[in-house]
Amino acid sequence: MSSRRTPLFSNHRDLGAKIVDFAGWEMPIQYTSILSEHKSVREGAGIFDVSHMGQIFVKGPETIEFLSYVTTWDMRRQKKGDCRYCHILDENGCIIDDTIVYTISEDNYMLIPNASKISKVFDWLLKNSGDFEISLNNLSDEFFCLALQGPDSPRLLGQHLNTSVGSFQLVKIGDTIISGTGYTGEKGCEIIGPLSEVTNHWESLVEMGAIPVGLGARDTLRLEKGYLLSGQDFDGNQTTLETGYSWVIDWNHDFIGKEALMEFKKKRYPRLRGIVIEDRGIVRPGNSVFNNGNKISSLTSGSLSPTLRKGIGLAYLDLDIGTPITVEVRGNHLNGRVVRMPFL
Amino acid sequence: MSEVPDNLSYTSEHEWLSLGDDGNAKVGITDHAQDALSDVVFVELPEVGSSFSKGDSMAVAESVKAASDIYAPVSGKIVSVNTKLEESPELINESPYDFGWMVTIEPTGELEDLLDSDSYRELIA
Repeated sequence: MSSRRTPLFSNHRDLGAKIVDFAGWEMPIQYTSILSEHKSVREGAGIFDVSHMGQIFVKGPETIEFLSYVTTWDMRRQKKGDCRYCHILDENGCIIDDTIVYTISEDNYMLIPNASKISKVFDWLLKNSGDFEISLNNLSDEFFCLALQGPDSPRLLGQHLNTSVGSFQLVKIGDTIISGTGYTGEKGCEIIGPLSEVTNHWESLVEMGAIPVGLGARDTLRLEKGYLLSGQDFDGNQTTLETGYSWVIDWNHDFIGKEALMEFKKKRYPRLRGIVIEDRGIVRPGNSVFNNGNKISSLTSGSLSPTLRKGIGLAYLDLDIGTPITVEVRGNHLNGRVVRMPFL
Repeated sequence: MSEVPDNLSYTSEHEWLSLGDDGNAKVGITDHAQDALSDVVFVELPEVGSSFSKGDSMAVAESVKAASDIYAPVSGKIVSVNTKLEESPELINESPYDFGWMVTIEPTGELEDLLDSDSYRELIA
């Protein structure tokens, strides 16, 4: 499959970005440095081109019933203008993808699947649409998504579009949706609209002082907050319960995977836990985790935390908070500990 | 444009080498290499006294995203290591040819297959 580019590819290149392949897209991993881009989001405002992410629209009189059936959340609880993070599960309760569901109006919803899962999610929704009176429309190739993130982003959003948006709320200006969402744990928003408008938004916001941030810092920012990375922290074999995200489940409604989860809940199972490394050194995805000298798991995510200046990681562990572990890096065992998440 | 000082020798693995009056070789990574690596956040250095054959991985420089092996540009014994890099790995980015040096090696083998500054400039052009 040939690589795809967003309309901002030449902007990224002109800014000196290092480009990598991500889920079949040529995307900027960093413009200047991951550490400085990370810091700009924690302390100022950063802007990300995440136009590779998907936009699937669901419309029709039974949209609420359908989306409640195919996600872990009961959409009857959503009001117009609400955004909700939830999981799409298979019959075994395993996560197909995590997504944010946007209530644009009672019969018009939008889902944002991860770039690598767009067709998988769309096919799954189609397959399970059955007798629901809805229509599904994958407009991923027609919409951009920019994430403006950091404590200074509300000010920049006001300056740019003369608007504001609450956390997990959305406002609509013409065909453009602005939502109080993101993947960094900071204040901020995501702007989603027709591709033809992306360059204008990007250039204006960069001109106003938003720092371009690549996928490298996007990963360290999300990891410090314990947010899941699709395809890495879950790969189709883990339930929502194991990821520690049971708060995304509304048990008071019927949805695909619910029965399996009810059964699963009865047994003891490892959960995705955070680990902090106390020795000097950096841990990476795939590094083995040891407890009492025995290999018990592998890291699904691992990096340096630019904020903590320590190695941090995620692993499925059947261990309590505070338990000492070691992580093997190039034959050396680095001492660490299971910690409560988020890391900060 | 990366800096390539005239007075150093280079390897195709992007290390530089400077031969001292005592016959020992000081080794680090080039400006081009540190730029490609980006923020160096961790450096694993060899023990003083350990020996390496030319081409062995003798150290590791890690950025946020990746770990890169640093190869011995010549066979020999490690005489000293830049312990400042343990606390301040960013010296490799800030001063790759000076404060960011990594090790000095007492060569036991021939200094060969090294590039002069012009050849190295050509390599990274």
